[in-house]
Amino acid sequence: MVKKDKEILYRRVFVWSWALRLFHWSFALSCAVLLLTGIYIHSPPFTTKWAEFKPQYLMATLRYYHFAAAYVFMAAVAVRLYLLFFGNRYERFTDFLPINRRNIRSLWQSLKFYLYLTDEHEWRMGHTVLAGTIYFLLFMAAIVMSLTGLYMLYPDVSWISKMGVALFGSLQMARFIHYILHWCFIFFVIVHLYIAIWNDFKAPEAIISGAFSGSKFLPAEVEED
Amino acid sequence: MARIPPIRMGLSRRDFLKICTIATATMGLPVEMVDKVAAAVKSSERPPVIWLHFMECTGCTESLLRSSHPPLARLILELISLEYHETLMAGAGEQAEEALKEALKKYKGRYICVVEGAVSTKDGGIYCQIGGRPAIEILRTVGEKAGAVIAIGTCASFGGIQAAAPNPTGAVKVSQVLSRPVINIPGCPPNPYNFLSTVLYTLTFGHPPELDDLSRPKFAYGRRIHDQCPRRPHFDEGRFVESFGDPAHQQGYCLYKVGCKGPVTYSNCPVQRFCDVGAWPIGSGHPCIGCTEPSFWDRMSPFYEHLPKIYIPAGGGIRVEAEKAGRVAVGAAAAVVAAHATIGAAKKVLKSISGKEKDQEE
Ligand code: HEM
Ligand code: HEM
Ligand code: SF4
Ligand code: SF4
Repeated sequence: MVKKDKEILYRRVFVWSWALRLFHWSFALSCAVLLLTGIYIHSPPFTTKWAEFKPQYLMATLRYYHFAAAYVFMAAVAVRLYLLFFGNRYERFTDFLPINRRNIRSLWQSLKFYLYLTDEHEWRMGHTVLAGTIYFLLFMAAIVMSLTGLYMLYPDVSWISKMGVALFGSLQMARFIHYILHWCFIFFVIVHLYIAIWNDFKAPEAIISGAFSGSKFLPAEVEED
Repeated sequence: MARIPPIRMGLSRRDFLKICTIATATMGLPVEMVDKVAAAVKSSERPPVIWLHFMECTGCTESLLRSSHPPLARLILELISLEYHETLMAGAGEQAEEALKEALKKYKGRYICVVEGAVSTKDGGIYCQIGGRPAIEILRTVGEKAGAVIAIGTCASFGGIQAAAPNPTGAVKVSQVLSRPVINIPGCPPNPYNFLSTVLYTLTFGHPPELDDLSRPKFAYGRRIHDQCPRRPHFDEGRFVESFGDPAHQQGYCLYKVGCKGPVTYSNCPVQRFCDVGAWPIGSGHPCIGCTEPSFWDRMSPFYEHLPKIYIPAGGGIRVEAEKAGRVAVGAAAAVVAAHATIGAAKKVLKSISGKEKDQEE
């Protein structure tokens, strides 16, 4: 932890490209819309039966929002998949998956930090490996969401139903997987928002504003290994 | 219109044309084609058919025989030359087996093999035997030499109830036994017109109809129930039946919330309908149970719920429903977040107290 009484210098480092920030916010907003409308579609809690005299199209409208958001979501996922390979150094999968010694060390370090076993903050320019691994799993879930969603959205387009039968067997299984995975997104949002805020308290990197501006703040003397 | 003899095949001309018209419409062909279909029926040599019954309830045959307005079964039975069909044939025992052997020899490579029911594979397939021979063996001999193989009903197409978990007899669908293309006409039971139209299509055009990825004719199984359902406006409006017999049910609202599988089931039931009187489940207030889809006993049930319950066996024989597990996991995440924040805050407070004490000591 950084002592309050001691003055230290920070330098501003630029980590998140505009493409990544565009991804993040279109992904976050579309996820919010998809979750709210998806939960309605799964089990509509209110109906318009009091208004039979006047068309409301409640389900049709919410499904329309679900699909509109789904296109934003899929575009965002496509951008992120591109960046995994061709983004800047911090955006590539090599920076944040536990695939080398440096990254595995980081994974331990963050686990200890989150369990309050150490106060030693890890200074990293990009994601910590713990966060990065979770993000990566979420991208995979997002791909499955998109494929099952497309199958349900275009059940009689021939190449899509071919893909659907090959991957999921039947529409019902696709619907089931789509539903089960939506819990992962709810889970992620709760934990993600908490951890973003918690880190903002614990370390002076200003990661939240970084999600808008693309820059973080690291102590001037810290060099990334 | 081409002249068609007034009475043919024990059917009135009116009924004959009626059936041809319905079948043509089922195939999605224009009314001008009725003549062609009728002509094909008239002129074609009656194709020999060997109809095999394996593990099943014979509901498929029953539903075909029971149609009487117009008497569709009669057309089918006159249209084809039925060489072997255990439910219908006069002979039994040795005699029947003889007939089968004869037919196999006489029509080798030309007959249509229709299969009703699933096939047992466990322990050499001994759980379903006819004349002392396991079904799987009979299917192999009859199926491989056929001109075409049609699986009628969900049992033959996808395994049906026999193949439902825990599947004690190792029941499988027909296409899993044969190494050749099989046309599936699923449904429990399937609409007889879907079967008839498939046969008529083949007779008229000389090749089988276009099939989907599960080998079902596209004219009958190309669209979901949900996209052709008369209750769909209620779905789009968000007006749902909450439980059977409630006012919403009496109003004829959408059955989505009582487990309707229309959104995930491909079939022409809303258009083709059943029982000569235009009845069908959703029309009568019962949700679709998805009987034309693979593994429907396992994955479409509970029939009155939206999604299947898949049990996750947890240690010590506890079973957790996947759906509930999701809710628990999210609840746990919220609880852990709250606990984590509390510990963090408490630690901070403790530290600041001990920090102050240290300052005082110094
Ligand atoms: C107001 C709400 C949100 C804030 C303040 C926020 C903040 C952040 C921050 C600070 C990071 C970078 C963390 C790091 O360096 O590891 C990040 C990354 C990320 N966030 Fe959010 N987030 C928000 C909402 C969401 C939502 C709703 C989702 C989606 C469900 C989401 C998905 C992601 C993903 C996938 C990443 C990884 C970025 C990448 O490398 O691709 N965020 N977020
Ligand atoms: C984070 C992403 C997403 C979440 C959380 C989400 C959530 C949901 C939920 C909970 C349902 C109800 C499932 C049920 O019980 O029947 C649903 C249905 C559906 N979703 Fe998504 N979804 C997401 C992404 C997508 C995408 C990318 C598409 C794609 C094109 C899509 C298309 C659909 C379709 C077509 C339905 C069925 C609607 C219906 O039955 O009328 N979803 N979604
Ligand atoms: S598909 Fe249904 S009706 Fe046909 S034999 Fe099997 S159980 Fe009976
Ligand atoms: S009753 Fe079933 S098939 Fe018809 S609109 Fe409702 S959910 Fe769809």
